[in-house]
Amino acid sequence: MPPAGIWIDGLTQSCTYMTMAFGMVLVFSILGILNWAHGQFYMLGAILVYYAVTAAGIPFPFSLLMAGLAMALLGVIIKVAIINRVKGDVYVGVVTLSLIFFFEGAASMLFGMNDRGLAIVMPGVLDMGLFSVSYQKIAVIIFTFVVMIAMYFVLNRTKVGKAIRAVAQQPDAASLYGISVERLSFIVMGIGCAMAAMAGSIMAPVYSINPFIGRTPMIMALLAIVIGGLGSLTGAIVGALILGFLHSVIAYYISYLAEVVLFIFVIFILLVKPQGLFGASAK
Amino acid sequence: MKKRFYSFTILLSVLMIFGILGISATAKAEEPIVIKVGNMSPLSGPAGPWGQTPIPAYDAYVELLNKEGIKIGGKTYKIQLIHVDDQNTAEGGASAAKRLIYEEKVKFIVGHWSWNFPAVAAVTNAAKVIYICRTGNEAVPGGAYSPKKMPYVVFGTPSHEKFISDIKAIVSAYPKYKRIGINDSTLGKGVGWDYVDKELTKAGIRFHHEWYPPGTQDFTPFLTRYNEAGCDVVYGAGDVMAAMMIAKQRWEMGFKDWKTGTSGMLLDPMMYIGVSGMEASQGFMGSYAANWNFKKTKINPKYAKMCQEVQKMVAAKIGKPYNFTGWTEWVPTHLTILVQAMEKAGTVEDTDAIMKAIRGGTFDTPMGKYTMSGTKTYGSPVVFGSAGAMGQIQGTKEVYLSESPWKPLP
Repeated sequence: MPPAGIWIDGLTQSCTYMTMAFGMVLVFSILGILNWAHGQFYMLGAILVYYAVTAAGIPFPFSLLMAGLAMALLGVIIKVAIINRVKGDVYVGVVTLSLIFFFEGAASMLFGMNDRGLAIVMPGVLDMGLFSVSYQKIAVIIFTFVVMIAMYFVLNRTKVGKAIRAVAQQPDAASLYGISVERLSFIVMGIGCAMAAMAGSIMAPVYSINPFIGRTPMIMALLAIVIGGLGSLTGAIVGALILGFLHSVIAYYISYLAEVVLFIFVIFILLVKPQGLFGASAK
Repeated sequence: MKKRFYSFTILLSVLMIFGILGISATAKAEEPIVIKVGNMSPLSGPAGPWGQTPIPAYDAYVELLNKEGIKIGGKTYKIQLIHVDDQNTAEGGASAAKRLIYEEKVKFIVGHWSWNFPAVAAVTNAAKVIYICRTGNEAVPGGAYSPKKMPYVVFGTPSHEKFISDIKAIVSAYPKYKRIGINDSTLGKGVGWDYVDKELTKAGIRFHHEWYPPGTQDFTPFLTRYNEAGCDVVYGAGDVMAAMMIAKQRWEMGFKDWKTGTSGMLLDPMMYIGVSGMEASQGFMGSYAANWNFKKTKINPKYAKMCQEVQKMVAAKIGKPYNFTGWTEWVPTHLTILVQAMEKAGTVEDTDAIMKAIRGGTFDTPMGKYTMSGTKTYGSPVVFGSAGAMGQIQGTKEVYLSESPWKPLP
């Protein structure tokens, strides 16, 4: 049995993947596209929060919200200026792939390539005797919990949320009921990008910040939604939980081979259950 | 009278013209001839800081070298260093080499950062360009290196021997250590590490080796494994981000007494403090190249003075203190080997004669005396005599920790 520290580490990993995967699957459900640059919104969120805290002296919680809002706006701009003008899912996919290199290149020029960090935010550890957990990791877990509850209420108790669910399930029927799919797609793109940015922001004090930090969370979020079932929000949450825990536990047992095992696991899931664990079909 | 005056004036003018022409011709003959040298290092991507940070120091060092004057075969030369991005990949290196050779017309390349040198060597050898780089897994027996196939490759920085020296320096600094946790990303995995492990075992050093996937930021599982293996020192092979994460996360996990570090040079103590936190980064170790502070390795005072001068020149240029000293080990050492080999060979044109001077030659460099092997790599010393020094972060500064001069592998 792995020590408690490994389980807590797994939970922290799961939280990051969960916020990332949730945003990604939301965009996929409504827009029908996989935003390959989702990880770069994570990176940009971390960079924004870094500057907000260190250069502008804005308290971390406000910086986090600000980064989310800014990236939501950027997501909408990208939707209007680029995605809407490109026809065909494949080409839209290529465009979002190109955005990875654009954002990484731009961040390298503006932010520089040196690693930076926000170790000054919430330093210290909670000593539990047999193991200790940093306040930064505790903040990640609490933040994710709050975001997931908030998203549950938004999707189930608000008009917009119900509209999102309706469009995700039956877009044609939803538009017959007067729901503007186009207007909704802007909202969803904004929420998706904001979630990625806030995941990056909350992780900024935990890990180091550089223009390339978005790659791994993006891949893991993608695996999580594939395991959970493309288009399934519940699947994204469960997939992220499985991946986060598995990653930590397997790495504890077999070190660097953990990723190989993870990918084999994903392939196995797809062979046994091609539609993912929760079987929600795409649009 | 008038006629004589005109004749005198014309004669004087002719003499003056010839005099001026003569002076300018002499001046032209004394103007240094340019030797173009390519410097390949990562200027983009995650390894970019390693390539970018030392560039102002390289340029300042070359400026001093040129000011001193390079005399080869009775002529005066000066070096023009051309920096290109090798992207820290084999493909990037090969493409950078092509650009340097076929566009910039360089005859010498120094400082390639990537351990993956064979792709570059294929380009440089075909063009008969001398290429001074670091060793890597491919340099050891069983690797791609072949002295016959790659006659113009020179290993100026031996990666694996250096790592061994680092570990020995750590042991001398912390003789009561329990076990050293060694790590590298799986990108570095290869036969070179077998030599490291074998050598450390032979030296009686207690260690535990871990590998992690490239880009890893979460080291909790690996640190737990180190803890179970009884490690109290964790030392990596140069991945700065990984080393900073290890320093931070071991602190958070409660292993506050553990010493951590990386075999790369410390780029800027404030970067490590910013990422790992002030307390967690105290004592963080890295390779140390401030040759003026070495205690065991003899450095020619001329080079120590030059390097200190470079620190001042760069600080004046950038308008703030330049704390990075790691630049000393790479390009300046390679350049010094190259220039001294040219001086010995008495030519800058005859590549074979220069290579003959390099092989088996001893060179006085900013990092100590280098003795180059014949044509072999391992099985015969590649280089030895340099510092193998370690520094560590104390407060917000990098200070000298210990030293274990490099020795050849048997």
